[in-house]
Amino acid sequence: MWDTIIINPMTNTLLWIYDMLGHGPHLFGLAIILFTILIKVITWPLNASQVKGAQAMQELQNDKDWQEIQKKYAKDKEKLAQEQMRVYKEKGINPFASCLPTLVQFPIIIGLYQSITHALSATPFDMLKLARAIYPFQNVENIIPLNSKFLWMDLGRPESIQILGFGLPTLAIIVAITTYIQSKLTMPTSTNPNDQSAQMSSMMSIYMPLLLGWFALNFASGISVYFIVSNLLGIVQYAATGRANWSNLLPGGNKNKKSSTKK
Amino acid sequence: MNTKRLILISLIALGAIFLSACSGAPVANNWHGLAADTEHAYISGGSFVYAVDLKTGSEVWRYPAEADSKLLFFATPILTADGQLLIGSAGTNHSFVSLDPATGKEKWTASFTKGKGAYLASPLVVNETIYAPNTDGFVYILDLSGNEIADPIELSGALWSAPSTDGSLLYVTSLDHNFHIIDIATGKTAPAIDLGGAVPSSPAVGADGVYVGSFAATIEFIQPNGSHEVIATAKNWIWGAPVLDGDLLYYADLDGKVYSLNAASGVQNWGIQPDGPVVASLLVSGDQIYVGTESGTLFALDREGKTVWEKESGGAIYTTPVAAGDLILVAPYQAEIALVAYDTQGKQAWTFAPEK
Repeated sequence: MWDTIIINPMTNTLLWIYDMLGHGPHLFGLAIILFTILIKVITWPLNASQVKGAQAMQELQNDKDWQEIQKKYAKDKEKLAQEQMRVYKEKGINPFASCLPTLVQFPIIIGLYQSITHALSATPFDMLKLARAIYPFQNVENIIPLNSKFLWMDLGRPESIQILGFGLPTLAIIVAITTYIQSKLTMPTSTNPNDQSAQMSSMMSIYMPLLLGWFALNFASGISVYFIVSNLLGIVQYAATGRANWSNLLPGGNKNKKSSTKK
Repeated sequence: MNTKRLILISLIALGAIFLSACSGAPVANNWHGLAADTEHAYISGGSFVYAVDLKTGSEVWRYPAEADSKLLFFATPILTADGQLLIGSAGTNHSFVSLDPATGKEKWTASFTKGKGAYLASPLVVNETIYAPNTDGFVYILDLSGNEIADPIELSGALWSAPSTDGSLLYVTSLDHNFHIIDIATGKTAPAIDLGGAVPSSPAVGADGVYVGSFAATIEFIQPNGSHEVIATAKNWIWGAPVLDGDLLYYADLDGKVYSLNAASGVQNWGIQPDGPVVASLLVSGDQIYVGTESGTLFALDREGKTVWEKESGGAIYTTPVAAGDLILVAPYQAEIALVAYDTQGKQAWTFAPEK
């Protein structure tokens, strides 16, 4: 079921792009980049709803009435939760709207990882499974085997560059940095010290770079290419809305903005 | 810690576990390699190479004694004239080792570890020189003591199959569609020949040239000077190496069709369809042809392609059956048993399932 719905369509899309590109050296990496762009286009509405959801939550946290309610029920958590749900309903806010694209990414990441390893077929048995997964319209004899080289990487293996005998995981570092930048840019600026969504965003900006960096460190470097391109596109998409919070990238940037806003 | 923070951390942790569990580090998996001498069968079955007593079907030794997560063995081990069993690892440790066939002890003081990729192919020994193809695209050249005696030959693409030789030339196939001819005396490589599809198996050597099957679903005849022609086609990928027996060439495809061809004239004698795709090479032994199918059946055919007997092995047959004395050995994949032995009449002699 998982193979039929996720893995096989993804694998075939990747192979089709690779075939269209001419299936030479470095082109599977390019296919992954184009595939990532395709995924971004498909999930564009979801990302837009994430941006809107985050903005709505931010506006709510800066809303005077809501801050009054929080003060009023500061010692009654149950009542505060009830009021919160009421306000969400009144203002048409979906508290999960900002989380959904992140959750949607998980099956895509898993599927992409399996598709990459599937397509690269490290053993004859993998190749046999791939033969069964390829759709009839594909020009399979020409495509197989895929050339796993991309720049200095083998896309089927974790990446590192040897420097003075030490393997520096360059891609894992870039994945962590771009994930950090993306999460920081999208982090809402809040004047409310009780703003739980801002606290969650702050935590996400720490945990997600570590998590994705760990994946990049341990898994096929093809998945790292996906992470980096996806992050860069996310940054561009958010910057295009004019709401990117660049000051968050500086140490204490968010605090400075808070204090200046208070004035 | 408030509830939302707890939920967030839990979600991230669950996501990490989910992703790790579902995708995880790549688990190399493949069917077994199988070889035999007069006393033992040798199976490369993943974490271990096993030696099995041909009389009783019991385990004689396993290598290594304890599983090592960095070592994986899938290639068919080969026996040398001076009493070595050679095999390379397909794990993250790309060791190429020599074992004592009697005891399973390492014969070289140090494994050869220069290869950057996996050893999925068997090596070939010619004139006391070992030629070991690797998935990194190189053929490594060692003496029988494990010393590298020449620079590796750089070819292209992953090398999944053992080289063949006519004594003066090496014939090496590659997954990148190319066929290579190497002069053993000079080490010079002729221009590669594009066969139009990946080639996962070894060439069959004939008197005037070699026969090669490929994913282009063709059998090509290639002469030592590099001239080549398609002499037969199939309906699907040809995975197993064609087998030459006198003037007759036997091969099969992933559609499950088995062919007999007059190699000289290119005229097909017969074609039959057993019960499933055929990945393994055929075995020609005595007056019978043995065909293992993905459906798990071992067929014994006569020279006219008629079924003499058939046996269900208990797992998909991807490994080429091996003849050992009066026994036909079959290594079913993902089955409860790793090896089953039949006599030439199809009577089961014994089975082997390694103890965990």
